[in-house]
Amino acid sequence: MSAFLKQVLGYTSDAIDAGKYLLKGLSVTFDHMRRRPITVQYPYEKLIPSERYRGRIHYEFDKCIACEVCVRVCPINLPVVDWVMNKETKKKELRNYSIDFGVCIFCGNCVEYCPTNCLSMTEEYELSAFDRHSLNFDNVALGRLPTSVTTDPAVQPLRELAYLPVGKIDPHGVASDQPRAGHLPSDLLNGLQKEAPLEKKSDVELSDGENLKG
Amino acid sequence: MMTFTFFATSYLGIAGPGLDLKSSFVDSLQSFGLSTEMARLLWLPLPMLLVLTAAMVGVLVTVWLERKISAAAQQRIGPEFAGALGVLQPMADGLKLLVKEDVIPARADGLLFSLGPVLVLVPVILSWLIVPFGQTLLISNVGVGIFLWISLSSIQPIGLLMSGYASNNKYSLLGGLRAAAQSISYEIPLALSVLAVVMMSNSLSTVEIVNLQNDAGLLSWNVWRQPVGFVIFWICVLAECERLPFDLPEAEEELVAGYQTEYAGMKFALFYLGSYINLVLSALLVSVLYLGGWGFPIPVEWLASWLSQPIDAPLIQLVTGSVGIVMTVLKAYLLVFLAILLRWTTPRVRIDQLLDLGWKFLLPISLVNLLVTAALKLLFPLAFGG
Repeated sequence: MSAFLKQVLGYTSDAIDAGKYLLKGLSVTFDHMRRRPITVQYPYEKLIPSERYRGRIHYEFDKCIACEVCVRVCPINLPVVDWVMNKETKKKELRNYSIDFGVCIFCGNCVEYCPTNCLSMTEEYELSAFDRHSLNFDNVALGRLPTSVTTDPAVQPLRELAYLPVGKIDPHGVASDQPRAGHLPSDLLNGLQKEAPLEKKSDVELSDGENLKG
Repeated sequence: MMTFTFFATSYLGIAGPGLDLKSSFVDSLQSFGLSTEMARLLWLPLPMLLVLTAAMVGVLVTVWLERKISAAAQQRIGPEFAGALGVLQPMADGLKLLVKEDVIPARADGLLFSLGPVLVLVPVILSWLIVPFGQTLLISNVGVGIFLWISLSSIQPIGLLMSGYASNNKYSLLGGLRAAAQSISYEIPLALSVLAVVMMSNSLSTVEIVNLQNDAGLLSWNVWRQPVGFVIFWICVLAECERLPFDLPEAEEELVAGYQTEYAGMKFALFYLGSYINLVLSALLVSVLYLGGWGFPIPVEWLASWLSQPIDAPLIQLVTGSVGIVMTVLKAYLLVFLAILLRWTTPRVRIDQLLDLGWKFLLPISLVNLLVTAALKLLFPLAFGG
């Protein structure tokens, strides 16, 4: 009899526990009712990509010396550099250059190693196309200026979380002149320059700071 | 003022004990020279159409609420662009389903396939017959009221099984079987917990059940006398409506969409409509059985006497009738809100857990609840309707 009673009591306490946990879960769900969404209404609103964002690659035909470093550093030798040797001037003559963005992984190695800086990363990320062959950008397409979220009149640009002022989570309605949380690279640089006369080794740090600006 | 009140009452369908809507409608038609039979015949479809419209609007509102509340629980916005705050979204969904192609799979059983959704929807709509929004504000005060609902709701699993079997699809068949197993095993604790309420009210009529809860407003609601029954009824109703955590007949991760897998267009819309009408209906019945139905937390009779107004005056009748409708709908939608909240809180139970819960937990507890109610009725006849 006592065993049976024990079983019943255990069952009851289990049921009560289950109810308690259920209520706890319900309170969590209910709490979410007062948390507001931070939805970005794409395509009417867009987030501003961060300054080191690796989007579509921009290419300047006139700067390129056809050295093919970009091809060598590329994980899959993607860029196609179409050049011929001009026998008279004994110089390479560049005819075409193309990158297929349907295959590119946007690692940025080509940009990093390009000796003449003719390659650069843009903040353009809307690369969808109806045909994958149209993603194979030739030097004309690569040379087009990137579209910018901030200059498009049809788009409301919004700041990403890391670029919002302290305590802000929702980018809507944040004034554009409100500084973001933490120190800007330029602030750090100014601070370092003030300290510079006192300490000798700050030269090294200064150059590091300049890299930060990127 | 009187004419306004009269017309308002006739159009809203409000009638308390003092105002009988049907007779006033018949009388007014008779004054235009119609025979009594003719006038009664003309009256007949009006409340039915009204309730049908109410049910449809209820579904639209519930679908919108479901999507908005789900969005809020997940910090999304939900439907926003179709009408103000997306209120027209369910309408747009319905229209889309209306114009979609009506597909019957090649190897399916055409007759059963078409009959299934109808068998699911019709009993649910029929059950609205007994939902009271006021003293005389229901289509028919059937003597066996709540029993009628229980018996009608057991037709539904036949429809589910039928559509699951006729689809000629393993997921549909599994879904249909699960739906049938679930409905059958939760019908019994549901009926037992209703029985406890019926025993306290000495009546199966929904109007009687509500009337007995409205002697002292909030304090006399059945939920205080039947807390266990309330919880069991709510769990069973969720299982009957196939809502989470009991939505395993249409568990999309395992069964695609269960018995609905092969359905498209208007036939799918019938299932969809059926499930939401059933949800609203169940919420209404919970409020009728346990939360005082149309009763205001403070009885309107008391309020009227404090304001020294005669309770039988047409205007007061109009006000109390409106308050009754608002209270019924408000309670029902609070329960719908709770159901949606539960949907985003609880994970789905397994089929064995579901049957365990139904047969090994809810059934014994509802039996004990019934016995305890009977004992209490004998012990305290005053409080428990002896």
